[in-house]
Amino acid sequence: MPWGKAAISGVGASRQGKLEGETAISLATEALRNAITDAGIEKDDIDGLLTMPGSSSPEGAKHYLALGEHVGINPRFTGSLAMGGATAGALVQLAAMAVATGMANTVACVFGDAARTQGSKFDAAAGRGDSWGIWGMFGNAANSAISARRHMALYGTTSEQLGWVAVNGRRNAALSEHAVMKEPITVADHQASRMIVDPLHLLDCCLITDGGVAIIVTSPERAAAGRHRPVRLWGMGQGHTLENLGREDWWYLPHQKDCVSGAYRMAGVSPKDIDVAQLYDNFTIAVLLWLEHAGFVKVGESGPFVEGGTRIARDGELPVNTAGGNLSESYMQGWLHVVEGVRQIRGECDTRQVEGAEICLVTGRGMTLNTSSSLILGR
Amino acid sequence: MIDEGNKAFWDACAAGELRVQRCITCGHLRYPISTVCPECLSEDAAWELLSGRGTVVSFCIFRHAYNEAWRDRLPYNVAIIQLEEGPRMLSNVHGVSPDEIRVDLEVKVAFEVEQGFSIPVFERAAR
Ligand SMILES: [Zn+2]
Repeated sequence: MPWGKAAISGVGASRQGKLEGETAISLATEALRNAITDAGIEKDDIDGLLTMPGSSSPEGAKHYLALGEHVGINPRFTGSLAMGGATAGALVQLAAMAVATGMANTVACVFGDAARTQGSKFDAAAGRGDSWGIWGMFGNAANSAISARRHMALYGTTSEQLGWVAVNGRRNAALSEHAVMKEPITVADHQASRMIVDPLHLLDCCLITDGGVAIIVTSPERAAAGRHRPVRLWGMGQGHTLENLGREDWWYLPHQKDCVSGAYRMAGVSPKDIDVAQLYDNFTIAVLLWLEHAGFVKVGESGPFVEGGTRIARDGELPVNTAGGNLSESYMQGWLHVVEGVRQIRGECDTRQVEGAEICLVTGRGMTLNTSSSLILGR
Repeated sequence: MIDEGNKAFWDACAAGELRVQRCITCGHLRYPISTVCPECLSEDAAWELLSGRGTVVSFCIFRHAYNEAWRDRLPYNVAIIQLEEGPRMLSNVHGVSPDEIRVDLEVKVAFEVEQGFSIPVFERAAR
């Protein structure tokens, strides 16, 4: 029996890309306006506001204050959370719990970032504080590069196999209305793209974009009165490895298995029930690890699974990242993964619609390979 | 960068020794440096001398300068080292080219002086 005591009734995105003159708050506001329209509600129906500060938001954990004042929402339930790419899912979960307990009726989860035009801060020293900078460990790609290198050494995973994840994202982005990168790429292009942090090439890495996303969570009953078919939250999970060097298998993100299995248990489903998956892809290797942690393949078998790109294609056995993901749609740190999951379940994806999509897994991961969240969306 | 909590580590490095904290209460050997044991939350610890031997868990090679100070060192590796006694460290393996470094490579600690600081790095262990 799926949980289903809360539903997503509206999703909205701002324009995406390089947006001169915009700020984290202006993009969050644009997205919120679109989500309110999509849900068919009035702004005053919103009595919960949950936010994620963007990398260009100066407010940090007080971001909800700045956004709430800006958009004129005085909620019963609020707060900000910073778990990187796991935040979108985690905020939807908090919203769902608030709705299920009656602490709020309708919660808006909102994110905006002007990372592209206001200078990204994704190149800071990796690790806590600046300590890893002593050894030249900078940027977000390095952690995933280390993860990929060990996966390659243990299981024979190849850079070409990672390339198929990039190719898949790009061909789906070509059919996505707000995707930033639509130019087709091949595995040869992936191999020829410059090396950023070996073994990761440029085309293994997510984009850096400006944009905003908002998601409206409410009760299934209220959602049924909205403009679209309600998308219920069947299952939700989290898992985190907050130590990094302290855990010998930290590089493999073992917590992601707990994260997804928790969501499966709550939804009463198993991997074979998933019709479409939006798997967090800050780097291509992330998709391979999710395929293993979510039980679609055994440990070490994700490379061969993605090779050739047919199994993860829109008409394959497990369509993955059907709007292009962080790699090609836009780097909204997983927020657009939730939006695409909702749209696939609604059946409104037109040329990129996965036929018969009724159950979608959405995953997010963040920080220094530390945090993860997952949602199972259904009808 | 140096404070009361990590001074003993850097002083040991200056003396050519790799030392990490062993919890006096539960015996857990820990790194990164911390004021508290992550196993039992005790604050009592002693700085224990390690062999400096370890193996490469995994590594990456920087080909793109995220930080100007490191531009002239490109390409350089950053590796996770599994120390023989248990803890893991992030460090660099010196003296091996990008083609030579590999997972499970046996290494030993060395110290490189930079701007007055002795920094622990690793080298290929003698066979
Ligand atoms: Zn202890």
